[in-house]
Formats: sequence, C-alpha cells, structure tokens
Amino acid sequence: MQSLGVVISGMGVVSACGKNIPETLDNLGAGIRNYSPVSLFETKLDYPVFEVKGIGYGDAKTMRTLELAFIAAGEAMEESGLKNRLGDLRIGVCMGTTIASQLNDTDFYREYKLKGSASMRSIERYLKSNLAEALSEKFGAHGPASTVVNACSSGTDAIGVGLSWLKADLCDVVICGGADELSRVPLAGFGSLGVLSELPCKPFDQERAGLNLGEGAGVIIIEKEEMLRKRGRKAHLYLSGYGLAADGYHLTAPRPDGSGLELALSFAMQEAGINPGQVSFVNAHGTATLDNDLVEGNVLRKFFGPGVKFLSTKGYTGHTLGAAGGIEAVFAALGLLHGWIPQSAGFNKADDAIGISPVTKKTMVSEKYAISTSLAFGGNNSAIVIARE
Amino acid sequence: MNIAGLGIVFNRGRALQALEKALEEGWVLPQDAAYAVSEDILKDKSALKEMRRADAFSKMACLAAYDAFMDSEVDGEKKRSLGVILTTAFGPYVTTLRFLDDIIHYGDASVSPTIFSHSAHDAAAFYIALALGSRGPTLTITQFAHSFSQGLIIAETWLKSGRCEYVLVGSADVCGEVMKYIYRQKLNVASDGKIKPFSFARAPVAVPGEGSVFFLLTNQETLKKYASISALPEAALKKPDVYILDCDGTTGSEEVYRQIGKAGPLISSYTPIFGSMLTVSSFNCAVAALMLKNQKCYAAPVQDNPHGLNLCTIRKSAKINSISCIRYGCKKERLEIFLKQ
Amino acid sequence: MDEMQEKELAAIRKNLKELLVTSLCLEDIKPEEIKDDEILFGEGLGLDSLDAVEIVVLLQRNFDLDVKDMLEGIKIFYSLDTLARYVLENRKK
Repeated sequence: MQSLGVVISGMGVVSACGKNIPETLDNLGAGIRNYSPVSLFETKLDYPVFEVKGIGYGDAKTMRTLELAFIAAGEAMEESGLKNRLGDLRIGVCMGTTIASQLNDTDFYREYKLKGSASMRSIERYLKSNLAEALSEKFGAHGPASTVVNACSSGTDAIGVGLSWLKADLCDVVICGGADELSRVPLAGFGSLGVLSELPCKPFDQERAGLNLGEGAGVIIIEKEEMLRKRGRKAHLYLSGYGLAADGYHLTAPRPDGSGLELALSFAMQEAGINPGQVSFVNAHGTATLDNDLVEGNVLRKFFGPGVKFLSTKGYTGHTLGAAGGIEAVFAALGLLHGWIPQSAGFNKADDAIGISPVTKKTMVSEKYAISTSLAFGGNNSAIVIARE
Repeated sequence: MNIAGLGIVFNRGRALQALEKALEEGWVLPQDAAYAVSEDILKDKSALKEMRRADAFSKMACLAAYDAFMDSEVDGEKKRSLGVILTTAFGPYVTTLRFLDDIIHYGDASVSPTIFSHSAHDAAAFYIALALGSRGPTLTITQFAHSFSQGLIIAETWLKSGRCEYVLVGSADVCGEVMKYIYRQKLNVASDGKIKPFSFARAPVAVPGEGSVFFLLTNQETLKKYASISALPEAALKKPDVYILDCDGTTGSEEVYRQIGKAGPLISSYTPIFGSMLTVSSFNCAVAALMLKNQKCYAAPVQDNPHGLNLCTIRKSAKINSISCIRYGCKKERLEIFLKQ
Repeated sequence: MDEMQEKELAAIRKNLKELLVTSLCLEDIKPEEIKDDEILFGEGLGLDSLDAVEIVVLLQRNFDLDVKDMLEGIKIFYSLDTLARYVLENRKK
C-alpha cells in the first residue's frame, strides 16, 4: 500500500440535510429529505429545492455563500484542533464555488439599467465575498489561496488543488472544499436547459426527470501526517488521490463514452496506489439528469464491476453546484469513518440502460477506500480517493 | 517552468507581432476611454472552431491559448497531456448580465439556455480544450488580483507531480459598459486616458482594459523559447535586472511601490498599453518574456517619472538575466512573479 | 391545406429561418439559404442539444408555445418544415 501522507484532520458540512455533521448523520440515517418550494427569493418557478433553513442572510456586507462556507469551515477547524492555534503553520485555502464568483446581482443591474447608475452596495458585497480570500482572512491563513470556479466539480477540484499544494510542500495545512448559495440565476438557467425536475429528484432511477438545486458548504482540513502527529493527534482518514480530466466534447453534455470520467478515476486511483477492487463505495455525482446518470452509471459499472456499491447523496442535499464536491467529500469520509452509507434517496426503479443500481437501504461498508466523483458543465471530470486508517 | 509559447489578444491586436509593434510605438490614446478589444480581432474560424455561440470572453481566451500552443514546438500528439488553467478577475460577467437581461425582460421561465451556459466561468477553458483537443486537467480560478499568480503556482505543482506534461496558463477579462461604470464609481479614472505607473499616488489613475494572454509552460528544457517563470516564493530573485510594476490604479494607493525604486534598479511598466485590469500581471509577464528572449529593454510607454526612478526610457539591447513583475494587492500584500533566462 | 394556410406556413417558415439564424448564432448561412425542409439536427443544419433547448425558448417567446416533452420535441424539431407546421397548428401569437 502506498504511503498515505495526507490526513483529513477536520470536516464540516451544512446543507438542507443538516447544519452540522451530527445533524446530517441523523438525517442521512433516517432517510429524511428536506425539500421545499423556493423561499429565499421571489420566483415564478416552483421546482422543489433544498434550502438551508434557519440561516438568514446574515451579514448584509457579504454573500450568503460566504456565510455557508464559514459555518462548514468553522466546524472543520474546530474538529481539527487548529482553530485559533495556527502558530507557525503555513495554511493554504482552496475553495470551489460558482455563485460567489459571479457578478449576478439582479437588483444592482435593474437599477443600473433604469437609472444609468446604481448603489455600489452589492458590488462591495461581491468584492468581499471571494471565498479563498475571505476564509484566509478569517482564519489568519497566509499560504497559497485559490478560488476554483469549475462549475459542478469546483469543490472536488479545490480539494485536489489542496492535495497538490501539500505534496509540493507549499504549505502545512489546507482548508478546502466548496460552497454555494441557492440563486435565481442557476434556477432559471438550469430550468431553461430542461434539466430541472418538478418532483424530488431520483438519481439513477429509470424515471428520473432531472435535478433539484440545493445550497450548502462542505469543508475538509487536510495536512501532512507528520504535522498531525506533532500536534499529538491520531489520523483516521486520509486524502489519497485526485484526478481531473477534460471531456473536450460539449459545453453542457457529458462525453457519451464516459472516457473523461474514466481518465479522472484512473489518475486518482493511481495516485492512491489502489485498484478498483479495493474501493468500498462510490459517492457518485448522480444529479438525476438523463445524461449524467447514464454516462456516470455506465462508467462505474465498467470500472468497478456490476457489484459496485454506490449512491448519490443529491437526493438529500439537491445539487449544490460548487459546494457539491466539498459536501460529498465529507459524506464519503463519514461513510468510511462510521462504516455505513445511507440509501440513495429517490431511487426506486432500475434503469436497464445503466445496468447497475445504487444502494436502496442503509448499507454497512468495511473496506478502506471510498471515491467521490464530480462531473461538470464544460466537461470537467474529477475524482478523489479517501482512505480510512 | 519554461515558457514554450506565448499568445496574446489585447487592445492593439492579436499575437506577438501586435505586442512587439505596440511596444515599439509606445502609448496611444484608447478609443472610448477604454482599452477594448475590437470584435474584428475575434474572427478566426480555424482557431475558433464550433464557437458560434461563444462570447468575447471565451473567444479572446481561446485565441490567446491557441496562439500560445501554435507558437511552441510541442508535438500536436501530446495534447492528451495538456492542462489548461484560465485565471480571471471577474469572468464572463458581460454574459452574466445578458442573462440577467433575460430574467428582467422575459421572466425566470423564458431565459436563454445558451447565454446561461456561457455565463459559467469555466466555459472559456472548455473551448480551449475543445480547440486543441486536450483531455488533460482543466481549471478556472476567479480571484481578482491574485488570480494569475495562483494559477502559476497550481501549474507548477501539476508539472512537478506529472499531472500533465504541458500547461496553458493565462488570464482573460472583459471590460464592457458596466465595468466602466464600476471603475468610475470605485476608482480614479484618468481623464486623459493615460495610466501613470510611476506616479505612486495615493489615488492613482486607471483606464479600463480587457484582453487575454496565455503561456504554454513545461518543465522540458529543450522546449524553452522565452524564459522560465514562477510565482513561488522560493524562486525569488536576489537582484533582478529589471522590475516591471503592475501599477494600474485598480488596487488603491500605489505609494508602497516607491520602496522598489529606491535602490536604483531598472524599472518599467507596460500597463498603459494594456489598460487597467486586476489580471494585468499576466500581460506585463508577457512583455518580460519577450525582453528575456530578445535581450531587449522596451521603453516604458508612459514615462512620467516624478520620483526620478531609473526607468527604461528607450528601446535598447541589454543583458537581461532576470525580471521581477510586482503587484501590490488591495491589502498591500506583495504578489511577485519571477522570470529568468 | 388551402391557399391561405399555405401563405401562413410560408410566412412562418421565413420567420423561423430568421429566428434560427439569430437565436442560434448560425454563421455562414443566411436565412434565405435554409431550405424549407432542411433537417435541423445531425445533417442539414447540424444543430445540437443546446440548440434544441434554445429553440424551445424561441417558440415560447415568439409564438407562446410550450414544448415540455422532449420526446414530442424530437418529432417537432425534425426539420424546418415540421417545426413550421407545428407552429401553424398550435400558435397563440
């Protein structure tokens, strides 16, 4: 077995499935799906969405996405024992997002179009909400800092960048993951693409009819194993590998042969030094769109064999876009740590065109490795390998 | 990392000939108070394949990246091991606003999926991968003034770890009317259209710009065409032959730059050719790369020099081994990129 | 089909050709160069899945028509002619 080297010393998550890890585990275990109509902004669209309830818009000076990121990062830093105890450690921050990177405030633009001028308040809010910069400032991090905007694979790719930094010895610790708030722009946009479901989503199901949007944040703290030991802590989880490959095919549709995802999986597993037979389960991207689940499902079957245990957790969180990779990394890690994965919410009927089905009930897992995959608009395919001690 | 190829699209044209011509000509008053890229430049069907729906942001980036690849001697068969990192301050925000136009005008249920798809910041990187047939890792970084240097750092880790053999790293940003408005509200826009990089003022002047520049990078020495480049602190140069300053009025007071001139090193800045952009570092690095390749010091296009710096005032042959490109961010953090022969 | 309807159909085809060229940013082809029975996807105009959903929006905005079922859409969007006939038979604007 290859040397592990990079540990996950803390995790934090917030989504419609829970405002922290304990609440999330309870809801996952009970199969609870917290979807509702949109309440965060005005829209005529009545698709079900997965909002984080009970968290207001908070500080009007920054975006909601940042607030979600702070919640998850705060939980992760607390668990890692690093909060307020950074000392001389070189800390990097790498976060994925889509909404927080966009100049997309409708009120600002409407006012500008009407009057030729507009209040700069929302511009200021946008400028203060760059995730990597804001988290660096909040946690006193002075190492490398990047905000990755790779559409739906942003969170996974941010974690991959963090892993590269540690292996290149650019820093000792990385706060990494993803965050995104529910926003009118992707709601209208995905609706126009015809990929939103009018019902709660059914990943990998024969009758799946599209995705539901969600919001949230997922953050992991990764560091070199020797740093963790020096701090007197024991490692339980590792980040072992990462792969990223381009489809080079179409802006909004995945390459039908899934070769981009296969490449990403191969790179990730090569870096981790494992073979497909050693993988306990896969937390799939599983958006419940016709295209994604068909392509991804076929790749998983081909790569891991017909008996592969896999699930999509988007039935619990919705598709959280830039946050998805971060949230699903946490879910995969929790699965390994606690030895179980929840049923793949929304699935009832197998699709013969896919040939495999996700787990339909809470399932025990015992092998050491798990994989989380992400596929994005623009043809990015990403995979990470997480290992248990 | 070695610079094996270079491509650029900016106000004065496309490709290195346009850049060298602009450096020879010096500063020229931009039209309409901005260093905008003409639409005529963005029409090259051989480079812009399957891009009929793409916006100016994607087209600029694609042309610059394509040119950088074609400028190099990298074997076309190697495209599978080609990574792409696009860095940007604001992404294709003009397209995002076009999408908001749809929401405002037609309502949430009748918006254009094409415009929405192109408002994704990673659309440009997708088009680059498509144009070049690359299947390697593709990443987009949106991080204001830090974007380009962070992109270089990630590229260096990818090459070192073997994630890919070559990486196209570059920046792209568009101007547009709303950005001009934001500049007028938040910055001190120059009434004479002239950025003055060496004034080191508390409220320095800016003139909006747009464009894209890409570098094809590799660790293979044999493919080095211009110079080596790095944004890592360990690559810091003790005594660079030239300092190129990113002073462009976009990150607040530029008084802090004064300390660089004190010891009397050779100083220059080319932001008055490109316009004010948070990603202007990449453009200055392109000039630095040319200087190192051609062993030529290009005259600073605007030479107002109230602090008596040792400026590059005329184009001349010079022995240049190393150049440091410096930007101070909004919080006066120093961002430095190092280039060497 | 009577003469009146034939004229209407011709007008719809002309309108659709112009809308397709503009909305889909078609290059190298003028509206009048699109054949009345031009196949839209695959061969012919060579449109793709993103164009298909853009046509859905084009029908909504210009003719107040909603194509929700994409299986139905495959038949409607087969050619310029099938699209035009669909508009003729169903339009509200």
